[in-house]
Amino acid sequence: MAVVEADLPAVAPRPRVNWTPYLLILPTLAFLGVFFIYPMVQAIWLGVTDPQSGAFTWQHFRRMSADLYFRQAIRYTLTITLLAVPLQVMLGLTIALLVNTRFRGHSLFLYLTALPIGISDLAAGLIWLSIFTERGYLNALLQRLGTVELPLVFLTIERPDWLIGAIVITEVWRATAIVMVILLAGLQLIPKDYAETASVFGAGRWQTLRHVIFPLLRPSLQTALIIRTILAFQLFGTVVTLAGRQIPVLAGEAYFWYSLYRSPNVASAYAVLILLFSGTITLLYLRLLRIREEEVKA
Amino acid sequence: MRGVRLVALLGVLVLVAGAGPTVSAPAQEIVFTSNQFTPVEEQEWARNALLARFTQETSIGVRFITEAEGPYVDRLIAETRAGRGTIDVTGTLHGIFPVFLAANALRDMAPTLSQLDGRKDRTFFKDFLSASKMENTTAFIPWMQATYLIVAHKDALRYFPSGRNAMAMTYDDLLQWGENIRQGTGQRRVGFPVGPRGLYGRFLHGYIYPSFTGAQVRRFKSPEAVEMWRYLRRLWGITHPSSFTYEFMSEPLLRGEVLVAWDHVARILPALRQRPNDFVVLPSPAGPKGRSFISVVVGLSIPRTAPNPELGARLIEYLTRPATQVLTLQGVGFFPVSPEAGGTVPAGAFKVMADGVGAQSGARDAHTALLPIGLGARTGEFVPLYVNAFTRIAVRGEDIQRVLNEEGAKLEELYRASNAPCPPPDAAQRPCRPD
Repeated sequence: MAVVEADLPAVAPRPRVNWTPYLLILPTLAFLGVFFIYPMVQAIWLGVTDPQSGAFTWQHFRRMSADLYFRQAIRYTLTITLLAVPLQVMLGLTIALLVNTRFRGHSLFLYLTALPIGISDLAAGLIWLSIFTERGYLNALLQRLGTVELPLVFLTIERPDWLIGAIVITEVWRATAIVMVILLAGLQLIPKDYAETASVFGAGRWQTLRHVIFPLLRPSLQTALIIRTILAFQLFGTVVTLAGRQIPVLAGEAYFWYSLYRSPNVASAYAVLILLFSGTITLLYLRLLRIREEEVKA
Repeated sequence: MRGVRLVALLGVLVLVAGAGPTVSAPAQEIVFTSNQFTPVEEQEWARNALLARFTQETSIGVRFITEAEGPYVDRLIAETRAGRGTIDVTGTLHGIFPVFLAANALRDMAPTLSQLDGRKDRTFFKDFLSASKMENTTAFIPWMQATYLIVAHKDALRYFPSGRNAMAMTYDDLLQWGENIRQGTGQRRVGFPVGPRGLYGRFLHGYIYPSFTGAQVRRFKSPEAVEMWRYLRRLWGITHPSSFTYEFMSEPLLRGEVLVAWDHVARILPALRQRPNDFVVLPSPAGPKGRSFISVVVGLSIPRTAPNPELGARLIEYLTRPATQVLTLQGVGFFPVSPEAGGTVPAGAFKVMADGVGAQSGARDAHTALLPIGLGARTGEFVPLYVNAFTRIAVRGEDIQRVLNEEGAKLEELYRASNAPCPPPDAAQRPCRPD
């Protein structure tokens, strides 16, 4: 043995691998594996295999795309996302900037505006249902003010724009807070010196915001946009509560195909479609909002 | 440190106190699953009133699991496939039993039925017993029954077409009634449960279709059906525009949004309970081919993989006892399946309801529609065909005959692929085929 060892060319001893970081992320990996990767693979599998023979097939995707509600579901999901997400980001940013000025009572204000985070989407839908329904608070108010004589019916497919408006308002109310919290955290990471330096060089408030704060806020903005858009594709509870199935959305269709039509395969096809949409949009955000190296150097 | 110890002591005390009931809990426990009693109040009632009595009497605990149809069916089938189960008793609609039989998931209930017969304290309505015979076995023991009716606010009765009888109303009366209400109140106040989990589909295939065409499936695209869809378009014109969000009609009725509603008895009962003096229950309308209505039978069965089948049989004995059937009627508005229980309907909301049920099933022109069976794993596709036809015709305004031909082709394919018989009142045919 000793001879063999002596024959080996001398190499520098390999540096000891530090296993601690890997051990630390192991629970997260296990969690992701069991609760995200495995169900995801299974959903894809269900979406492209025949339930009887197990052979590969596109039939579930064909059934999905031939369905009465399919095109509408895509259209409405995109419409609601395009309307709600920019509103949420603008409003969230405004509130975050406001809180960051640390006016008197700003922490109370922060808690109040963050409250909707703790409310499930179904509960949020019910809250706004009690406002928008024919015998709801909004009609009571309008009648009290004498604006209308008979209560208006807001939630009907005969007025789709009102229905979508109600959904967008509910979504904005429910999910602006999460955007605000992420952006506020981002704002608080930006050292005060930058803004002070900018003002020394004569930059006004708007200029500071535009050229100093926004570029530094981009990573948080990216996170907030990705999270909000992905969640918007999973939009379900509020829409079903306010509109039933008259405003079909993708996640709602997945649910109905599973629970009403008893077809886990087509439901999975919808899930795969949502996954594709979310993946594409995430990639898009990562590209568009990428922080280029030259920017950092400059 | 002291504080921490105090908190720990308190924690232990709370745990012990919490564990108290478990200490005295019954030694034996069985699992009972169902897709009925899913609304929270009904679940609570089932656990705290219905099943608690059984536990008191027998000291057998019952774990009651109720969920939506999809997960409910999957749970039992998964246990059958695994060959090892936890469910001892299961109770569901007669239309779901063929799915379980196809998976060979259930025991033959004939021995349990003859045991019950031996007690000489109960019999079951003949129609339900014959519905329980499937593929040469007894798939279930009848447990309870339900139907769908019209409930109206008493204020709405003054709008009822004059000279007509509300207890024997026709579809034309209903339309005229809704029109009178619209003119009188300025709003469309007839409501249907067209929400995603609403039961409007049942109205289409089991009520209006057979009332106009004499059949649920066979006359799907007939000239009479075209006439019926024209009528439905007009009916939509007096129906509350928010009907697409309604799932339980008791809610819009209590809010006053709707004055006349059609729904499942269990879903209008909360309105009758809260304000029994404000509402009347009326039979469903009659069309040119008579007064068709659905009779829903819910049955009990024991899975093949049940770990405690004898205890399960005792639960079935308890649940089908005439006294328990009356208790069930009072609790959740499902009607008895034994004539022995039928005679003792108590006064109040149930009397109002029972009068309506009686007027519906006792009408001269009445005929019963049963839920479709034999569609196996594709059972869930039946109702959406009717609802989709409704959405396309009445909401989107597509051409009636074209929609009926297209949806009818899907219906035909569904029946051909499943080789399923026509559901009554259609004339017998297998596989069923729309003419």
